[in-house]
Amino acid sequence: MNRVRNFKLILWMILGLGAAVATARFMFGLGVTTNLSDRTPWGLWIGFDVMSGVALAAGGFVLTATVYIFKLDKFHSIVRPAVLTAFLGYAAVAVGLLFDLGLPWNIWHMIIFWNPHSALFEVGWCVMLYLTVLLLEFFPVPAEEFGFLSKIRNFLIRLRLPLVIAGIALSTLHQSSLGSLFLIMPYNLHPLWYSPILPVVFFISAIGLGLMMVTFESLFTAWLYRRKPEMELLERLGAAARWVFLLYLAVRLGDLAVRGQLVHLGGGEWQVGMFWVELAIAVVIPTVLLFIRAVRRSPAGLMTVAITSVTGIVLNRINVGGLVHINRGDTLYLPAWTEIAITSAVIAGAAVVFLFMVEKFNVWERRPADPDAEPTRKPKFHPVDGSWLGEPGIAARTKYSLGFIIAAAIGFALLSGGPVESRGVDPTPARMARGGDTLWIDGNLDGYGTSFPHLEHIRRNGGGRSCVKCHHMNLPHDRNSACYQCHSDMYLRTDAFRHDRHSSPTGANLACTECHVKGQVRNVESAKRCDECHNDLVPPGSSIKVKQYRAVSYTEAMHRTCIGCHTIVATSKDKPDLSRCTTCHKGQRNVTDATVLASQKRRLIGKRMVLPPIYRK
Amino acid sequence: MKAILTDTTKCIGCRECVIACKKRYNLENDIPRRWSAEDGLSARNWTSIIERPDDRYIRKQCRHCLEPACVSACPVGALSKNKDGAVVYDSVKCMGCRYCMMACPFGIPRYDWDRQVPYIRKCILCADYIAKGGQPACTEACPTKATIFGERDELVAEAHRRIDENPGKYFNRVWGEHEIGGTQVLYISDIDLSFLTYGQSLGTEPLPDRTSPAMHAVPYAFFGMASLMAGLSWITSRRTKLREQTEEKEEGGEDE
Repeated sequence: MNRVRNFKLILWMILGLGAAVATARFMFGLGVTTNLSDRTPWGLWIGFDVMSGVALAAGGFVLTATVYIFKLDKFHSIVRPAVLTAFLGYAAVAVGLLFDLGLPWNIWHMIIFWNPHSALFEVGWCVMLYLTVLLLEFFPVPAEEFGFLSKIRNFLIRLRLPLVIAGIALSTLHQSSLGSLFLIMPYNLHPLWYSPILPVVFFISAIGLGLMMVTFESLFTAWLYRRKPEMELLERLGAAARWVFLLYLAVRLGDLAVRGQLVHLGGGEWQVGMFWVELAIAVVIPTVLLFIRAVRRSPAGLMTVAITSVTGIVLNRINVGGLVHINRGDTLYLPAWTEIAITSAVIAGAAVVFLFMVEKFNVWERRPADPDAEPTRKPKFHPVDGSWLGEPGIAARTKYSLGFIIAAAIGFALLSGGPVESRGVDPTPARMARGGDTLWIDGNLDGYGTSFPHLEHIRRNGGGRSCVKCHHMNLPHDRNSACYQCHSDMYLRTDAFRHDRHSSPTGANLACTECHVKGQVRNVESAKRCDECHNDLVPPGSSIKVKQYRAVSYTEAMHRTCIGCHTIVATSKDKPDLSRCTTCHKGQRNVTDATVLASQKRRLIGKRMVLPPIYRK
Repeated sequence: MKAILTDTTKCIGCRECVIACKKRYNLENDIPRRWSAEDGLSARNWTSIIERPDDRYIRKQCRHCLEPACVSACPVGALSKNKDGAVVYDSVKCMGCRYCMMACPFGIPRYDWDRQVPYIRKCILCADYIAKGGQPACTEACPTKATIFGERDELVAEAHRRIDENPGKYFNRVWGEHEIGGTQVLYISDIDLSFLTYGQSLGTEPLPDRTSPAMHAVPYAFFGMASLMAGLSWITSRRTKLREQTEEKEEGGEDE
């Protein structure tokens, strides 16, 4: 039973890593723990956890229909695991969604705030109801073990047929409505995927995927617990799946042909390649393989088919869910490792519960021996290598716990530092300007800016010690703070004083009375001035007096510094144009454009233009 | 129905509108971050000036569609259109699914990515001010009257008047008059503004109309599927019963 134990150890380690990432996700928000952005607001957690999760759990309704509606009683032995998989799949979708939602504590809001125009509203309701139905469908299985539940159990068994029918109808709705979600995005979704019959396409592929998932899950757990796979049933499932796949292929291509969208296949975009890859691994290769009898009859062959088509249909959901959206600018979204960690942890969690249910209750016709417990073995001390051979069950659980903790520790170690702490921009200390004679000033980094002859200004202002005329202030313990570190907003006044940094135990940890006068109301007026403690803020000889902790906006700071001086020089040297806008704002060039940047570079050789760091990527 | 008309030929790119907007709604510092889009809009910048070659400035903001995709998409109705036509947001209802961001063809709604309690943020047409008879901060602040506020019908007429009176000056098109059912933020320009929708030209069909057939089919699909399944189940169980009866009869016959 080592196989099961090792597999469980891996699952618990994934859960440990996920726990660390989950903590960070809720502590720091979505921005630093995912690769989602304003351009790509949906990512792996929607494309895989939700869209694919729901489709992967389609086996439940397909098999309950087979057994309870079409009365193919042969399949009865795999209904229980299929319903359990479906229940855990939907529970995993709900849990996964909690990570993706910005305000997960409001997830129940759909119950009281209604918007029946929204496809997502419909999906949400169906998933909630279907989760309940699945719970009621599966409840009799664990209830077998507890005598006092027998009344409820008998009642639910009598209620089975209505429950099955409700489950099938609800599944039909939300499996297809997951496709309806994207009907509202005709200008975003690539035309090879967008179609008014997306709901139908999603429904058909969900049936195919459901059959393949049941196959995969049966074969995998059979391997895991060294059971004999139900090959006769699986062969028939495979035989049915090929017709579903053929139907899917026909609908998909037929739809494109009827609506005249096949022309897009001639395009050279990467999405066209993606379309073919997706179609090939989702349906074409599996169908061809399923028509070969030898493949259908061998566990290895069926497993190959199942893995291929599951990958392909999951890829389809991820594509539709955000990958092949064309209105997203140049940004290509790839999931961050943290997102992958959470996704894997959600799946691992579902798998752990599945194994638990299988071992403790009669999910299969024959319950496997509990791999964690061999009660006949007595704990003993090994005399040679000194190791303690505890009761195997306990030993395995100790191992799982250790694995969980170690993985969580590794997760926290990987998370700390950079991405979480960063404010998102590289600081540009003033020393970067040294050695260049012209600076490109572009505060909002939109590519348009002014070229500022730095060297020329130093020369005219008297060289060496004249820096302080403009560079009037530094942050404490710093000698070359960047302008934006205090003037941190383009247009608004900002507060350059950080109260938390002074008062918090992780900062300077000052007592209130160190700055505020004792006995008086603690406010700005009763506080010490910054320079009473920090005597290195304003360099001696600075032309600008810093009186307060409020910083003017970046634009205003730049304009005041330049225009103030320029106005004086304009009168004294009789050059009235010097204080006009166009003196500085001339020849604005978009340097983010690669070709312009290249020519810019050529022209600026010799002038040694210093560009902001964002241009140097 | 209130509206904003922006004449990009009059815009000098001074960004007074951006400043006024930030001041009125106390929007905080904004530094470009990993998740920022290149158009300058963000959770703390509800309007921005996009600079195009040859000193063209285009102010980007929420278009306040007449039939907004975001309002129809929001599963909890957190986004809604008020009586003046402003698309406003109720943070109490929101659950943070970001479907509105996916649904918007202009890519307008932005997210508080760095917050632990993130909300959807976007221009709300200064709904609280126009309800009291005021006007949006941006149009109030514009020194060149490049962006003006008024009734939508009047502004559409004004836009056409400007285009007709200055032949050759403008693109013969009022952006926002008909696209996806019309928007309340209109543009006239001497350059092509299709970059606001990433180079695509939007049709006139409102986006909520794309989903409604599927949504209307929901009850039919539910009850249709349920009755189909119930019927099939009845047939199969009856068939089993009949077969059992015949078998019993046959067995009984043998016994006799």
